[in-house]
Amino acid sequence: MQKRYIFLAALFLVIASGLLFLPGMKQKTQIPAEHFLNDIHSNNRYLSTDEIAERIIDGDPMLFIVDVRTEKEFDNYRIPGAINIPFKDLLLDDWAGYLDQDIQDVIFYSNDDILSEEAWALCKQMGYSNLYVMDGGLNYWFETIMLPPKPGELSSSADFDLFAFRTGASIFFGSGSTTIAVKPQAPKAKKTLTVKKKTKKAAEEGC
Amino acid sequence: MGPLTFNGIISTEWNYVIALLIGLAFGYILEASGFSSSRKLIGVFYGYDFVVVRVFITAVSVSMVSLLYLDYLGLLDFSQLYVLPTYVNAQVVGSVIMGIGFLMGGFCPGTSLTALAIGKIDGIIFTLGIWLGIFGFSEIYPFIEDFYVSGYMGNVTIMDQFGVDPYIFAFGFAVFAVVAFTAASFIRKRVKEVQY
Repeated sequence: MQKRYIFLAALFLVIASGLLFLPGMKQKTQIPAEHFLNDIHSNNRYLSTDEIAERIIDGDPMLFIVDVRTEKEFDNYRIPGAINIPFKDLLLDDWAGYLDQDIQDVIFYSNDDILSEEAWALCKQMGYSNLYVMDGGLNYWFETIMLPPKPGELSSSADFDLFAFRTGASIFFGSGSTTIAVKPQAPKAKKTLTVKKKTKKAAEEGC
Repeated sequence: MGPLTFNGIISTEWNYVIALLIGLAFGYILEASGFSSSRKLIGVFYGYDFVVVRVFITAVSVSMVSLLYLDYLGLLDFSQLYVLPTYVNAQVVGSVIMGIGFLMGGFCPGTSLTALAIGKIDGIIFTLGIWLGIFGFSEIYPFIEDFYVSGYMGNVTIMDQFGVDPYIFAFGFAVFAVVAFTAASFIRKRVKEVQY
Protein backbone atom coordinates (compact mmCIF):
# COMPACT_ATOMS: atom_id res chain seq x y z
CA MET A 1 0.00 0.00 0.00
CA GLN A 2 2.63 2.45 1.11
CA LYS A 3 4.88 1.43 -1.80
CA ARG A 4 2.14 2.20 -4.30
CA TYR A 5 1.77 5.71 -2.92
CA ILE A 6 5.49 6.33 -3.12
CA PHE A 7 5.53 5.05 -6.71
CA LEU A 8 2.58 7.27 -7.70
CA ALA A 9 4.11 10.33 -6.00
CA ALA A 10 7.44 9.75 -7.75
CA LEU A 11 5.71 9.25 -11.11
CA PHE A 12 3.75 12.47 -10.64
CA LEU A 13 6.91 14.39 -9.77
CA VAL A 14 8.64 13.06 -12.89
CA ILE A 15 5.71 14.08 -15.10
CA ALA A 16 5.51 17.52 -13.45
CA SER A 17 9.25 18.09 -13.81
CA GLY A 18 8.82 17.38 -17.53
CA LEU A 19 7.15 20.81 -17.71
CA LEU A 20 10.49 22.40 -16.86
CA PHE A 21 12.17 20.88 -19.88
CA LEU A 22 9.56 21.57 -22.53
CA PRO A 23 11.25 23.28 -25.46
CA GLY A 24 9.89 26.77 -26.00
CA MET A 25 6.97 26.99 -28.39
CA LYS A 26 5.35 30.39 -28.69
CA GLN A 27 3.43 30.73 -31.88
CA LYS A 28 -0.04 29.78 -30.76
CA THR A 29 -1.22 33.41 -30.92
CA GLN A 30 -0.80 33.40 -34.68
CA ILE A 31 -3.80 32.61 -36.83
CA PRO A 32 -3.65 29.66 -39.24
CA ALA A 33 -2.18 30.47 -42.65
CA GLU A 34 -5.37 29.54 -44.57
CA HIS A 35 -7.46 31.97 -42.50
CA PHE A 36 -4.91 34.67 -43.03
CA LEU A 37 -4.98 34.08 -46.78
CA ASN A 38 -8.77 34.39 -46.79
CA ASP A 39 -8.58 37.62 -44.81
CA ILE A 40 -6.05 39.07 -47.23
CA HIS A 41 -8.25 38.16 -50.19
CA SER A 42 -11.41 39.64 -48.75
CA ASN A 43 -11.90 43.38 -49.13
CA ASN A 44 -13.83 43.73 -45.88
CA ARG A 45 -10.93 45.48 -44.22
CA TYR A 46 -11.16 48.59 -46.39
CA LEU A 47 -13.16 51.54 -45.16
CA SER A 48 -13.62 54.40 -47.60
CA THR A 49 -12.53 57.91 -46.69
CA ASP A 50 -16.17 59.06 -46.98
CA GLU A 51 -17.33 56.42 -44.53
CA ILE A 52 -14.64 57.35 -42.02
CA ALA A 53 -15.29 61.09 -42.42
CA GLU A 54 -18.99 60.56 -41.81
CA ARG A 55 -18.33 58.50 -38.69
CA ILE A 56 -15.94 61.13 -37.32
CA ILE A 57 -18.50 63.88 -37.93
CA ASP A 58 -21.19 61.79 -36.25
CA GLY A 59 -18.88 61.37 -33.23
CA ASP A 60 -18.95 57.56 -33.48
CA PRO A 61 -17.44 56.26 -30.20
CA MET A 62 -16.57 52.91 -31.80
CA LEU A 63 -13.94 54.58 -33.95
CA PHE A 64 -10.29 54.13 -33.03
CA ILE A 65 -8.11 55.70 -35.71
CA VAL A 66 -4.43 54.82 -35.68
CA ASP A 67 -1.81 56.82 -37.54
CA VAL A 68 1.10 54.47 -38.29
CA ARG A 69 3.37 57.17 -39.75
CA THR A 70 6.26 58.73 -37.88
CA GLU A 71 5.72 61.17 -35.03
CA LYS A 72 6.98 64.06 -37.17
CA GLU A 73 4.50 63.39 -39.95
CA PHE A 74 1.76 62.98 -37.37
CA ASP A 75 2.56 66.37 -35.85
CA ASN A 76 2.46 67.88 -39.31
CA TYR A 77 -1.02 66.67 -40.18
CA ARG A 78 -3.40 64.15 -38.66
CA ILE A 79 -6.99 63.13 -38.99
CA PRO A 80 -8.82 64.57 -35.99
CA GLY A 81 -9.13 62.04 -33.16
CA ALA A 82 -6.38 59.79 -34.48
CA ILE A 83 -3.62 58.56 -32.22
CA ASN A 84 -0.07 58.02 -33.34
CA ILE A 85 1.45 54.54 -33.13
CA PRO A 86 4.59 54.70 -35.28
CA PHE A 87 4.91 51.55 -37.38
CA LYS A 88 8.14 50.45 -35.75
CA ASP A 89 6.53 50.62 -32.29
CA LEU A 90 3.41 48.74 -33.35
CA LEU A 91 4.13 45.57 -31.39
CA LEU A 92 5.33 47.24 -28.18
CA ASP A 93 3.44 46.05 -25.13
CA ASP A 94 2.32 49.64 -24.45
CA TRP A 95 -0.02 49.50 -27.44
CA ALA A 96 -1.28 45.95 -27.06
CA GLY A 97 -4.08 47.13 -24.79
CA TYR A 98 -5.32 49.57 -27.42
CA LEU A 99 -5.02 47.29 -30.43
CA ASP A 100 -5.96 43.95 -28.89
CA GLN A 101 -9.61 44.55 -28.00
CA ASP A 102 -12.93 43.63 -29.52
CA ILE A 103 -15.00 46.72 -28.77
CA GLN A 104 -13.79 49.52 -31.00
CA ASP A 105 -12.97 49.38 -34.70
CA VAL A 106 -9.24 49.93 -35.17
CA ILE A 107 -8.60 51.82 -38.42
CA PHE A 108 -5.05 52.15 -39.70
CA TYR A 109 -3.95 54.88 -42.06
CA SER A 110 -0.67 56.11 -43.48
CA ASN A 111 0.25 58.35 -46.41
CA ASP A 112 -0.66 55.68 -48.95
CA ASP A 113 -2.18 52.42 -47.86
CA ILE A 114 0.95 50.27 -47.98
CA LEU A 115 2.24 50.91 -44.47
CA SER A 116 -1.25 50.70 -43.03
CA GLU A 117 -1.79 47.39 -44.84
CA GLU A 118 1.39 46.07 -43.29
CA ALA A 119 0.24 47.22 -39.86
CA TRP A 120 -3.08 45.49 -40.50
CA ALA A 121 -1.31 42.26 -41.50
CA LEU A 122 0.96 42.33 -38.45
CA CYS A 123 -1.91 42.88 -36.04
CA LYS A 124 -3.98 40.23 -37.82
CA GLN A 125 -1.11 37.80 -37.30
CA MET A 126 -1.15 38.64 -33.61
CA GLY A 127 -4.76 37.48 -33.54
CA TYR A 128 -6.30 40.93 -32.93
CA SER A 129 -9.81 41.59 -34.17
CA ASN A 130 -11.83 44.50 -35.63
CA LEU A 131 -8.97 45.73 -37.81
CA TYR A 132 -9.53 48.01 -40.78
CA VAL A 133 -7.51 49.98 -43.29
CA MET A 134 -8.41 53.40 -44.63
CA ASP A 135 -8.66 52.86 -48.38
CA GLY A 136 -6.09 54.96 -50.22
CA GLY A 137 -4.56 56.45 -47.09
CA LEU A 138 -4.04 60.15 -46.47
CA ASN A 139 -3.37 60.87 -50.17
CA TYR A 140 -6.84 59.74 -51.06
CA TRP A 141 -8.21 61.49 -47.96
CA PHE A 142 -6.94 64.78 -49.36
CA GLU A 143 -8.20 63.98 -52.87
CA THR A 144 -11.70 63.15 -51.72
CA ILE A 145 -12.45 64.83 -48.40
CA MET A 146 -10.16 67.83 -48.12
CA LEU A 147 -10.13 68.87 -51.80
CA PRO A 148 -13.12 67.16 -53.38
CA PRO A 149 -13.25 67.28 -57.22
CA LYS A 150 -16.33 69.01 -58.55
CA PRO A 151 -18.61 66.66 -60.53
CA GLY A 152 -19.18 67.50 -64.19
CA GLU A 153 -22.35 69.02 -65.61
CA LEU A 154 -23.78 65.66 -66.65
CA SER A 155 -22.99 63.77 -63.43
CA SER A 156 -25.73 61.93 -61.58
CA SER A 157 -27.46 63.42 -58.55
CA ALA A 158 -25.71 60.88 -56.36
CA ASP A 159 -22.39 62.38 -57.44
CA PHE A 160 -23.65 65.83 -56.49
CA ASP A 161 -24.86 64.56 -53.13
CA LEU A 162 -21.46 63.00 -52.51
CA PHE A 163 -19.77 66.23 -53.51
CA ALA A 164 -22.06 68.16 -51.17
CA PHE A 165 -21.17 65.86 -48.32
CA ARG A 166 -17.47 66.06 -49.10
CA THR A 167 -17.39 69.83 -49.25
CA GLY A 168 -19.28 69.94 -45.97
CA ALA A 169 -16.80 67.50 -44.48
CA SER A 170 -13.85 69.49 -45.79
CA ILE A 171 -15.14 72.49 -43.85
CA PHE A 172 -15.55 70.31 -40.80
CA PHE A 173 -11.98 69.04 -41.06
CA GLY A 174 -10.57 72.24 -42.52
CA SER A 175 -7.95 73.65 -40.22
CA GLY A 176 -4.37 74.81 -40.38
CA SER A 177 -2.76 74.52 -43.80
CA THR A 178 -5.69 72.87 -45.45
CA THR A 179 -8.24 75.65 -44.95
CA ILE A 180 -6.65 77.84 -47.58
CA ALA A 181 -7.44 75.47 -50.35
CA VAL A 182 -10.98 74.95 -49.20
CA LYS A 183 -11.96 78.55 -48.49
CA PRO A 184 -13.18 79.62 -51.93
CA GLN A 185 -15.80 76.90 -51.92
CA ALA A 186 -17.00 77.61 -48.41
CA PRO A 187 -20.21 79.59 -49.03
CA LYS A 188 -21.62 77.06 -51.46
CA ALA A 189 -20.70 74.24 -49.17
CA LYS A 190 -22.54 75.69 -46.21
CA LYS A 191 -25.87 75.54 -48.00
CA THR A 192 -25.40 71.98 -49.09
CA LEU A 193 -24.32 70.89 -45.65
CA THR A 194 -27.64 72.01 -44.15
CA VAL A 195 -29.51 70.02 -46.77
CA LYS A 196 -27.56 66.95 -45.80
CA LYS A 197 -28.36 67.46 -42.14
CA LYS A 198 -32.07 67.81 -42.78
CA THR A 199 -32.35 64.45 -44.49
CA LYS A 200 -30.41 62.89 -41.68
CA LYS A 201 -32.67 64.30 -38.98
CA ALA A 202 -35.72 62.95 -40.75
CA ALA A 203 -34.20 59.51 -40.77
CA GLU A 204 -33.43 59.68 -37.09
CA GLU A 205 -37.01 60.59 -36.21
CA GLY A 206 -38.21 57.67 -38.27
CA CYS A 207 -36.31 55.30 -36.06
CA MET B 1 -18.17 21.22 -21.12
CA GLY B 2 -17.40 24.87 -21.91
CA PRO B 3 -15.68 25.03 -25.31
CA LEU B 4 -17.67 22.15 -26.75
CA THR B 5 -20.95 23.88 -25.91
CA PHE B 6 -20.01 27.31 -27.19
CA ASN B 7 -18.74 25.92 -30.48
CA GLY B 8 -21.99 24.06 -31.02
CA ILE B 9 -20.48 20.58 -30.83
CA ILE B 10 -22.74 19.78 -27.89
CA SER B 11 -26.21 21.33 -27.85
CA THR B 12 -27.44 23.21 -24.78
CA GLU B 13 -29.96 20.48 -23.95
CA TRP B 14 -27.30 17.77 -23.95
CA ASN B 15 -25.09 20.05 -21.91
CA TYR B 16 -27.60 19.81 -19.04
CA VAL B 17 -27.81 16.04 -19.37
CA ILE B 18 -24.02 15.75 -19.28
CA ALA B 19 -23.88 18.14 -16.31
CA LEU B 20 -26.39 15.94 -14.49
CA LEU B 21 -24.35 12.79 -15.22
CA ILE B 22 -21.11 14.40 -14.06
CA GLY B 23 -22.90 15.67 -10.94
CA LEU B 24 -24.24 12.19 -10.17
CA ALA B 25 -20.80 10.66 -10.63
CA PHE B 26 -19.24 13.33 -8.42
CA GLY B 27 -21.80 12.78 -5.67
CA TYR B 28 -21.46 9.00 -5.89
CA ILE B 29 -17.66 9.10 -5.65
CA LEU B 30 -17.79 11.57 -2.75
CA GLU B 31 -20.14 9.26 -0.89
CA ALA B 32 -18.25 6.10 -1.81
CA SER B 33 -14.97 7.55 -0.51
CA GLY B 34 -16.55 8.35 2.82
CA PHE B 35 -16.88 12.09 2.39
CA SER B 36 -20.39 12.04 3.79
CA SER B 37 -18.95 11.39 7.26
CA SER B 38 -18.28 14.60 9.13
CA ARG B 39 -15.83 12.74 11.39
CA LYS B 40 -13.69 11.87 8.39
CA LEU B 41 -13.84 15.41 7.00
CA ILE B 42 -13.01 17.03 10.29
CA GLY B 43 -10.06 14.70 10.86
CA VAL B 44 -7.74 17.13 9.13
CA PHE B 45 -8.20 19.66 11.94
CA TYR B 46 -7.37 17.08 14.61
CA GLY B 47 -4.66 15.34 12.64
CA TYR B 48 -6.08 11.82 12.40
CA ASP B 49 -7.29 11.91 8.79
CA PHE B 50 -5.87 14.01 5.97
CA VAL B 51 -7.93 12.63 3.16
CA VAL B 52 -9.64 15.96 2.44
CA VAL B 53 -6.38 17.84 2.03
CA ARG B 54 -4.94 14.99 -0.02
CA VAL B 55 -7.93 14.93 -2.37
CA PHE B 56 -8.01 18.66 -2.93
CA ILE B 57 -4.29 19.18 -3.38
CA THR B 58 -4.08 16.15 -5.69
CA ALA B 59 -6.99 17.47 -7.76
CA VAL B 60 -5.45 20.94 -8.06
CA SER B 61 -1.95 19.71 -8.81
CA VAL B 62 -2.90 16.99 -11.32
CA SER B 63 -5.28 19.26 -13.22
CA MET B 64 -2.75 22.11 -13.27
CA VAL B 65 -0.01 19.90 -14.72
CA SER B 66 -2.36 18.26 -17.22
CA LEU B 67 -3.84 21.59 -18.36
CA LEU B 68 -0.36 22.93 -19.01
CA TYR B 69 0.53 19.84 -21.03
CA LEU B 70 -2.71 20.05 -23.02
CA ASP B 71 -2.06 23.74 -23.63
CA TYR B 72 1.46 23.00 -24.79
CA LEU B 73 0.25 20.33 -27.18
CA GLY B 74 -2.33 22.75 -28.58
CA LEU B 75 -5.32 20.66 -27.50
CA LEU B 76 -6.63 23.33 -25.17
CA ASP B 77 -6.18 27.09 -25.08
CA PHE B 78 -5.08 28.04 -21.57
CA SER B 79 -6.00 31.68 -22.12
CA GLN B 80 -9.60 30.71 -22.94
CA LEU B 81 -10.22 29.17 -19.51
CA TYR B 82 -12.58 31.05 -17.25
CA VAL B 83 -10.81 32.49 -14.22
CA LEU B 84 -12.95 33.55 -11.29
CA PRO B 85 -12.58 37.24 -10.44
CA THR B 86 -10.57 38.02 -7.31
CA TYR B 87 -11.94 40.26 -4.54
CA VAL B 88 -9.08 39.96 -2.07
CA ASN B 89 -10.64 41.43 1.09
CA ALA B 90 -14.00 39.76 0.77
CA GLN B 91 -12.44 36.43 -0.14
CA VAL B 92 -10.09 36.40 2.86
CA VAL B 93 -12.97 37.09 5.26
CA GLY B 94 -15.21 34.66 3.38
CA SER B 95 -12.70 31.84 3.59
CA VAL B 96 -12.23 32.39 7.33
CA ILE B 97 -16.00 32.18 7.79
CA MET B 98 -16.07 29.10 5.57
CA GLY B 99 -13.29 27.46 7.64
CA ILE B 100 -15.07 28.15 10.94
CA GLY B 101 -18.29 26.78 9.49
CA PHE B 102 -16.46 23.69 8.22
CA LEU B 103 -14.92 23.06 11.62
CA MET B 104 -18.16 23.64 13.53
CA GLY B 105 -20.52 21.82 11.20
CA GLY B 106 -18.22 19.08 9.96
CA PHE B 107 -19.14 19.49 6.30
CA CYS B 108 -18.35 21.64 3.34
CA PRO B 109 -21.34 22.52 1.13
CA GLY B 110 -20.89 19.68 -1.37
CA THR B 111 -20.34 16.94 1.18
CA SER B 112 -23.29 18.15 3.27
CA LEU B 113 -25.50 17.35 0.29
CA THR B 114 -24.08 13.83 0.01
CA ALA B 115 -24.77 13.39 3.72
CA LEU B 116 -28.28 14.70 3.13
CA ALA B 117 -28.72 12.23 0.29
CA ILE B 118 -28.03 9.23 2.54
CA GLY B 119 -30.32 10.67 5.23
CA LYS B 120 -27.81 11.77 7.87
CA ILE B 121 -29.48 14.06 10.38
CA ASP B 122 -26.43 16.32 10.81
CA GLY B 123 -26.31 16.66 7.01
CA ILE B 124 -29.97 17.74 6.94
CA ILE B 125 -29.42 20.33 9.68
CA PHE B 126 -26.27 21.59 7.94
CA THR B 127 -28.12 22.00 4.63
CA LEU B 128 -30.90 23.94 6.36
CA GLY B 129 -28.16 26.11 7.86
CA ILE B 130 -26.70 26.77 4.39
CA TRP B 131 -30.10 27.95 3.15
CA LEU B 132 -30.50 30.12 6.21
CA GLY B 133 -27.04 31.56 5.58
CA ILE B 134 -27.80 32.26 1.92
CA PHE B 135 -31.03 33.98 2.92
CA GLY B 136 -29.28 36.04 5.62
CA PHE B 137 -26.49 37.03 3.24
CA SER B 138 -28.98 38.14 0.58
CA GLU B 139 -30.83 40.24 3.15
CA ILE B 140 -27.76 42.06 4.47
CA TYR B 141 -26.02 42.28 1.08
CA PRO B 142 -26.98 45.96 0.49
CA PHE B 143 -25.19 46.90 3.74
CA ILE B 144 -21.98 44.99 2.98
CA GLU B 145 -21.87 45.58 -0.77
CA ASP B 146 -19.01 48.07 -0.52
CA PHE B 147 -16.90 45.58 1.35
CA TYR B 148 -17.99 42.71 -0.90
CA VAL B 149 -16.58 44.36 -4.02
CA SER B 150 -13.48 45.82 -2.37
CA GLY B 151 -10.03 44.62 -3.30
CA TYR B 152 -11.11 43.77 -6.84
CA MET B 153 -8.16 42.57 -8.90
CA GLY B 154 -9.85 41.22 -12.01
CA ASN B 155 -9.66 37.69 -13.34
CA VAL B 156 -6.09 37.05 -12.29
CA THR B 157 -4.16 33.89 -11.59
CA ILE B 158 -1.20 33.60 -9.23
CA MET B 159 1.07 33.26 -12.27
CA ASP B 160 -0.18 36.54 -13.77
CA GLN B 161 -0.16 38.42 -10.50
CA PHE B 162 3.37 37.54 -9.42
CA GLY B 163 4.80 37.02 -12.89
CA VAL B 164 5.84 33.44 -12.16
CA ASP B 165 6.46 31.12 -15.08
CA PRO B 166 3.46 28.72 -15.08
CA TYR B 167 5.65 25.66 -15.68
CA ILE B 168 7.91 26.46 -12.74
CA PHE B 169 4.90 27.20 -10.56
CA ALA B 170 3.18 23.93 -11.48
CA PHE B 171 6.34 21.95 -10.75
CA GLY B 172 6.77 23.79 -7.44
CA PHE B 173 3.20 23.01 -6.51
CA ALA B 174 3.70 19.33 -7.34
CA VAL B 175 6.75 19.24 -5.04
CA PHE B 176 4.74 21.04 -2.36
CA ALA B 177 1.95 18.47 -2.72
CA VAL B 178 4.28 15.49 -2.26
CA VAL B 179 5.99 17.16 0.72
CA ALA B 180 2.60 17.96 2.26
CA PHE B 181 1.43 14.37 1.86
CA THR B 182 4.60 13.03 3.48
CA ALA B 183 4.27 15.49 6.37
CA ALA B 184 0.60 14.58 6.77
CA SER B 185 1.38 10.88 7.00
CA PHE B 186 3.99 11.60 9.70
CA ILE B 187 1.54 13.66 11.71
CA ARG B 188 -1.09 10.99 11.30
CA LYS B 189 1.25 8.31 12.66
CA ARG B 190 1.93 10.35 15.80
CA VAL B 191 -1.69 11.17 16.54
CA LYS B 192 -3.80 8.62 18.35
CA GLU B 193 -5.92 6.65 15.91
CA VAL B 194 -9.63 7.43 15.98
CA GLN B 195 -12.23 4.85 15.13
CA TYR B 196 -15.21 6.13 13.17
